[in-house]
Amino acid sequence: MEPRVAVVGIGHAGFAPITAGVSYKELMFEAAQRAYFDAGVDPRTGVDSFVCCSEDFLEGTSIFDEYVPDQLGAVQRPVQTVAGDGLFGFVTALMLIRSGIASVVAVEAHSKVSDVRSLGAIEAFALDPVLNRPLGISTLNVAGLEMNAFLERTGLSEEHCAMVASKNRTNALDNPRAAYPAHLSVEDVDDSTPVSWPLRDLEVARRADGCVVMVLASEERARQLTEAPVWILGAGWASSSPSLESRLWGHAESTTRAAEMAYRLADVGDPAEEIDLAEVDDVYAFRELEHLEALGIATGPELASLLEAGDLDIGGEMSVNASGGSIGQGNLFEANGLVRVLECVEQLRGEAGERQVDEAYVAVAQSARQVPSTSSAVVILANDAGAGG
Amino acid sequence: MLEKLERPDEVRRWKGRIPVSHRYTPGVAGDVFFTALRDRGVLLGSRCDSCDYTYVPARLFCERCFAELSADAEVGPGGRLVSFTISYTGLEGEPLEQPVAIGLVRPDGADAAIVHRIVETGDEPLEIGQRMEVVVKPDEERTGSIHDIDGFRPTG
Repeated sequence: MEPRVAVVGIGHAGFAPITAGVSYKELMFEAAQRAYFDAGVDPRTGVDSFVCCSEDFLEGTSIFDEYVPDQLGAVQRPVQTVAGDGLFGFVTALMLIRSGIASVVAVEAHSKVSDVRSLGAIEAFALDPVLNRPLGISTLNVAGLEMNAFLERTGLSEEHCAMVASKNRTNALDNPRAAYPAHLSVEDVDDSTPVSWPLRDLEVARRADGCVVMVLASEERARQLTEAPVWILGAGWASSSPSLESRLWGHAESTTRAAEMAYRLADVGDPAEEIDLAEVDDVYAFRELEHLEALGIATGPELASLLEAGDLDIGGEMSVNASGGSIGQGNLFEANGLVRVLECVEQLRGEAGERQVDEAYVAVAQSARQVPSTSSAVVILANDAGAGG
Repeated sequence: MLEKLERPDEVRRWKGRIPVSHRYTPGVAGDVFFTALRDRGVLLGSRCDSCDYTYVPARLFCERCFAELSADAEVGPGGRLVSFTISYTGLEGEPLEQPVAIGLVRPDGADAAIVHRIVETGDEPLEIGQRMEVVVKPDEERTGSIHDIDGFRPTG
């Protein structure tokens, strides 16, 4: 994709089960301050447009766009909210710059889920009101149905899913921002209570508060602002069949389609060979495997061998969720997509500390909105070396 | 933000509620589906010939090719189990007194599947791909809602 767009600033705040006493606006302010400092821009004069991602019911308000400008430096400026995952806001920012409307764009997403007193009811409210909701089924049940269909189709086992949860909690030990680091064995996960069998309690990402803000810039501005730009080589997004009745169960179809688009734009022909690390949706442990398959990294049986050989660990053939993913860092809801980009940017800058992946040049960030939704987005990122200079 | 809270009860919070009530229109196809379920105890779907795909419940349009469909393809009551899950928790994570089996059944003649409870699970463990049957409530108890279906039962 020419001309290029780069991530030139990152900032985050929170990443804790509870951020007591701090409002979501203050979380956003803190993350935004850090991102603008990192990018070296003044939001009041140096940012052309602002994009926020939020879901009204999770915020406890309606028409949330009126609640976002002040803490971002976006008052009296072009600002919009996207009702979706942060990665959709990220590609909106990319399009604003690629279309020439803006040169520098800030994108934000957050979670203040500790303020939500009826999360299960809000999530269940996403189900069809006539066909599904009257049955009282939960999103965990939808995830359980999906997991069972996925395992049946691929031949992967419950233990493989437990290995993902164990890996991600352990990876989080080396991530200072992670909310849920732990030495967790595969047996610990296997022994945890089933919530919606075959899905177990320790395979579900715990909720966390937090905020991520990023600054994106055109190639020309990026070269002026930073010596370590992280280039966006490609982006894709797609839906699957949305209804529970007609969707393709046991496949992450929307991720497959989003990846096809992103790979086409980034000119990636062999993802397993050309990509060095992946940050993918793991709100439910099995989804990491489902998305890796959809991203063309490996098929079901290959995933089993990769997991068993430790090749998805930090330092393995393909580090997957070196950050700890949502299982290790916490489920930040609409911010999950930006959390994945955040990790890719730190890795590609060589700033990931103890969990730094060697020879990290090209990364893929993938996000899916919460079950029961079937929307996914994929972006391909690279540092100067990975982007060919 | 230099001063940190040390005691949770020092946090000032305001409790609020979102008062939401709504009216949901199942639409033309939904109306035909629920009327057939109530009056005849059958499942009506919609066939798209160009996609070779039969939806259930019935719908007025094909999501694959955008064709207009009619609600006239009767499917089931037999079918196959596409997936199932055993639920141990309620909406807010509270443990259920009795686990509930939830299934996804593709009725014979349909490509889409229906989500509902699995009733009469019996002693045999459930298996994906096994034969199932839609259990419809007796004539006098049906009102034209998804609850006109009691659930699914294994048939071997």
